[in-house]
Amino acid sequence: MPRVIRGTLITCEPAIKSIIMHINAENNNEIVIEDLDDTHLLIKESKIYDLKRLLDLRLKETLKVEAPLDDSD
Amino acid sequence: VVDQIRLWQLETERMAHAPGFLFKEFDSFEEYDGMARYAEEIGVLQWRNDKNGTFFVTKVEQLRDYLKSRKK
Repeated sequence: MPRVIRGTLITCEPAIKSIIMHINAENNNEIVIEDLDDTHLLIKESKIYDLKRLLDLRLKETLKVEAPLDDSD
Repeated sequence: VVDQIRLWQLETERMAHAPGFLFKEFDSFEEYDGMARYAEEIGVLQWRNDKNGTFFVTKVEQLRDYLKSRKK
């Protein structure tokens, strides 16, 4: 009999996936359940909104460093 | 730099997510393949990986019935 695990499937670019893995490591590995392949992850259903927020934050930080003059958004 | 920003924005939007169930650790490839094909047929399959014998579905009820009927 197979094992069945409830969760949310994330489909994204490899670059985004590696950022998600970093965010997961910084949050006591409480977000990601399983690393599926280069573009897919299984995460806890309850963590999707936290992850979205943290990812947006991380991408904005990256933009500030790369484009300090751009203040739109 | 502006192009890079657009790229990043596109990539955040590209993070698709779907709630559901991951199936793994099947007893045989045949069992895995049969069930993944059935999941695709009924339109609940989102992702499969033949190398690891795992797949992800959005709904599980019909697959439970399928497993039960195969056990008999």
